[in-house]
Amino acid sequence: MLPDWKRLLVIGLLVLAFMAAPMVIEIGTGSLNLLIMVFIFVILSQSWNIIGGYTGQINLGLAAFFGCGVLVTHFVWKAEMPIYLAVIAGGLSAVVLAGIIGLPTLRLKGAYFAIGTFALAEVCRIVVGNIFERMIEMPGSYAASYSLIPRYYLGLTVAFAAIAVTYFITRSKLGLGMVAVRDSEQAAQVTGVNSFKYKVYALLISAFLAGLGGGVYAFMRLSFHYVTAVFSPIWTFEPLMAAVIGGSGTLIGPVIGSIFLVVLSEIFALTLGEAHLIIFGLLFILVVMYFPYGLVGSVSRIRQIISRVGRGLCETGENCRKGF
Amino acid sequence: MEFVLQTIANGLLAGALYGLVALGLGLLMGVMKFLNIAHGTFIILGGYLSFWLFNLWGIDPFLSIPLVMIAMFLIGLVFYRLALSPLLKLPDVGMRIDTSMLITFGLIWVLDNAMTMLWTPNVRTILTSYTGETFRFFGARFSFTGLCGVGIAVLVGLALYSVLSRTYFGKHLRAATQDAEAASLCGVNVQRVYLISTGIAIALAGVAGAVIVSSYSISASGGIGWLLIAFVVMVLAGEGNINAIIPAGLVYGLLEAGSVLIFGVPYRQAIALLVFVLVLMFKPQGLFAKRE
Repeated sequence: MLPDWKRLLVIGLLVLAFMAAPMVIEIGTGSLNLLIMVFIFVILSQSWNIIGGYTGQINLGLAAFFGCGVLVTHFVWKAEMPIYLAVIAGGLSAVVLAGIIGLPTLRLKGAYFAIGTFALAEVCRIVVGNIFERMIEMPGSYAASYSLIPRYYLGLTVAFAAIAVTYFITRSKLGLGMVAVRDSEQAAQVTGVNSFKYKVYALLISAFLAGLGGGVYAFMRLSFHYVTAVFSPIWTFEPLMAAVIGGSGTLIGPVIGSIFLVVLSEIFALTLGEAHLIIFGLLFILVVMYFPYGLVGSVSRIRQIISRVGRGLCETGENCRKGF
Repeated sequence: MEFVLQTIANGLLAGALYGLVALGLGLLMGVMKFLNIAHGTFIILGGYLSFWLFNLWGIDPFLSIPLVMIAMFLIGLVFYRLALSPLLKLPDVGMRIDTSMLITFGLIWVLDNAMTMLWTPNVRTILTSYTGETFRFFGARFSFTGLCGVGIAVLVGLALYSVLSRTYFGKHLRAATQDAEAASLCGVNVQRVYLISTGIAIALAGVAGAVIVSSYSISASGGIGWLLIAFVVMVLAGEGNINAIIPAGLVYGLLEAGSVLIFGVPYRQAIALLVFVLVLMFKPQGLFAKRE
């Protein structure tokens, strides 16, 4: 992997910079909160990217894995376990849930997988809403020692772990199998790729990351006024948007998409109020229609469009929608 | 006993509405292979149109349905031109479904938030002079608005069936679905047929919204719930099987009623959705598979 040493160096420097940032300069509470939200979105959109971007299975049930991670982390942490174990427990519980949800739904093809996961995520939301009391919170002693810095470091660690996991997957046989399933499941099966196996692996890894993301969120927020809110479809839809806007099926796309979505929505929310969500919706539609590789691929895509003026937009053949 | 009868009656009333909700989605997905995730949002939009017609000009919600249909039809034409027609260039149907899903997903964001801004996130419902009235049959009470909803669902279902199977337009649409290229070689204007069908599908969503706002309530972000119901009913009916959608809606309504009787009200939707996933797994061609 020598050709990549420059990229690795850049990433290493970035990690160091993020690590050192809170020690060197005083970051305000608002910015710190924002950064943690960016980390959570990076984790979630990278998680969606593994199953949706690389394996081509559009998963609309991400919120179930996230919510499961939040709840389990919350309760394990409440049982006076260290937070690191609690977050990992949250991730593992999401893997178990993914096994229960995924083994049946992964046999479904295309849009039916999306509908099936969406339905099961709703089932989870309803069941959780019925089982738990409406509000859960940590005891006051946790709130007294609340500080954003450890949340920042946890979020940073998990976010970079998510990126690293995706990186190593794309370099492995597993990643090749996943991409083969995405590009043509039939062709992959004919050449001896066990497509179901790769889809299951992709879903389990994706769920683990989503559960960890839930853990970070549970660590950040001590109380939840509505338990069902962490299972709400928003937690599927916004990471999906981040991944697609940034460029799904690429390593760095979801990261850029998350930064873009969280930071811009913060800026827009202050200046434009609710209208900013409309702008994001429009932007998302434009990206899906004209830039299948997202913002990451837009530079080369614009060049391509200019050189192909006069031809149809999507006559670029197989390249056209490979992003999915 | 009375509770059982009443629950079943409620299931039937709700079921007819569920069928109506799924008609537009079934037309777009089953016949034209566009998966319109924003279907629930269009339903809510139709509901708002009906609500404002009632509140501003006092037009009865059931009489305003033709107006709502015309308005939603026009919106559907714009929707097709801007969002769906570029997708016909995609090389295969699977891509068309996936891409239309993502595009309409963005549309949810736009419409939901636009409606929240324009009409506040409050829950809205129409209260007419006859809203609370009920009839008694066999010891169960049927609400007047609910029965009107059933009537409209059956009427609209029959109308759609006859348009699709008895007119040249329906023939063209089915031809275009089977093989767009061959159909256009035979002189079918595929773009125009798809344009008008999308208009009809969105108009159907508008009808459903108008019925919902008269007997239930709507809020700007309530589209997702109705979308899920429409999905479920569409899959139960079997993809492309438009005629079975209203019966499938009734089946889903009864399924919900059954889970209310056995597991209680809180798990109503959860059980019905679980059954849906089981159907999806073991009988993906739907409960009402075609005879051919």
